[in-house]
Amino acid sequence: MSWAQRIVDLLKAQDIRFIVYVPDMVVWQVLQLMEEDPFFHLVAATREEEALGIASGAYAARKRSAVFMQSSGFGNCLNALGSLCIPYRIPFPMFISLRGELGEFNIAQVALGRAVVPILDSLALQHFAPRTEAELEPMVDGAIRLCYSSRTPVAVLLAPMLTGGKRG
Amino acid sequence: MDRLEATRLLVGKLSNEPVVANLGMATRDLCAAQDRDANFYMWGAMGLASSVGLGVALATPDRKVVVLDGDGSILMNLGSLATIARERPRNLVHVVCDNQQWGETGGQPTHTATGTDLASVARGAGISKVASASTLEELGKVMDRALKEDGPWCVVARIEPDTERPTINRIEPEVNLWRFRRTFE
Ligand SMILES: Cc1ncc(C[n+]2csc(CCOP(=O)(O)OP(=O)(O)O)c2C)c(N)n1
Ligand SMILES: [Mg+2]
Repeated sequence: MSWAQRIVDLLKAQDIRFIVYVPDMVVWQVLQLMEEDPFFHLVAATREEEALGIASGAYAARKRSAVFMQSSGFGNCLNALGSLCIPYRIPFPMFISLRGELGEFNIAQVALGRAVVPILDSLALQHFAPRTEAELEPMVDGAIRLCYSSRTPVAVLLAPMLTGGKRG
Repeated sequence: MDRLEATRLLVGKLSNEPVVANLGMATRDLCAAQDRDANFYMWGAMGLASSVGLGVALATPDRKVVVLDGDGSILMNLGSLATIARERPRNLVHVVCDNQQWGETGGQPTHTATGTDLASVARGAGISKVASASTLEELGKVMDRALKEDGPWCVVARIEPDTERPTINRIEPEVNLWRFRRTFE
């Protein structure tokens, strides 16, 4: 089974149906599978910060959601995290495709890609980066459980070692 | 029209409908007009009131959801209008209180003061139920329709610059969200 299909199954198992995203080539592999599955309701946002706002509203009305984005888009989310999700205690898993890592071809992806982890740390948000198929299930399932028990966003970083990345 | 009076009029038409209020004066005036469990007050997240309202509306399609937004804030997140148009939530009523200024930060003129027409922007984004109101009477009529007829609605209310800041009892954001969520049980 592909890494993407495993993530789909783990979201389903936790009853996360509502998916908000801005695409990239890596997260699209997961989103495409969900688009074909009537279990999921996908909402495309124009900007990642907007996606966090929509996911926060869904939680406020008692619906679980997940957000998918690229590391560059994580840079567009910071004020939503700092002034909405963290102070109001709004949980959802954020699946962030990590660019600027092994095999990166585009220099414009490198600086923010490398800054994702220090930014998450500075906001005291937990993050997990499964790099093998074996790590995928405990980290994704565990991150989802953790975000709801701690009522805080948790990041799952999708690195090229797992996904193959984008080669140009 | 005066925003506090407009907010009172609007809240008077509601029963248990959720209301999401923009940071600053919208939150203050909503809390002063009527502090209710179904109010979600923003203290930050400038620009995101409409996105939060969209999330609430999509999660609870059988209840009308009202957003009280500001001109400066929606200008920061115009993409939200396109996403609302794309998702077409029948139950969303997005009210933009346009005072042509960043009121909360001292009244600097926003881009609506220099010609940007938010009703046209909303139409251009693909929202079909767009209305403008510049008096309480007009707003009342539009809201009666918007709360009955399918949307999504975008109502641009032309308001005067705020002259006073009502004092309100602030509640902790965490408590606010907890209270708001209970109204969906
Ligand atoms: C991201 C961000 N930028 C700037 C500010 C400062 N700020 C707070 S309220 C506000 C003005 C909001 O204007 P508008 O939406 O028109 O609301 P009004 O105060 O006029 O009701 C600004 C600029 C902020 N809180 N957050
Ligand atoms: Mg304003």
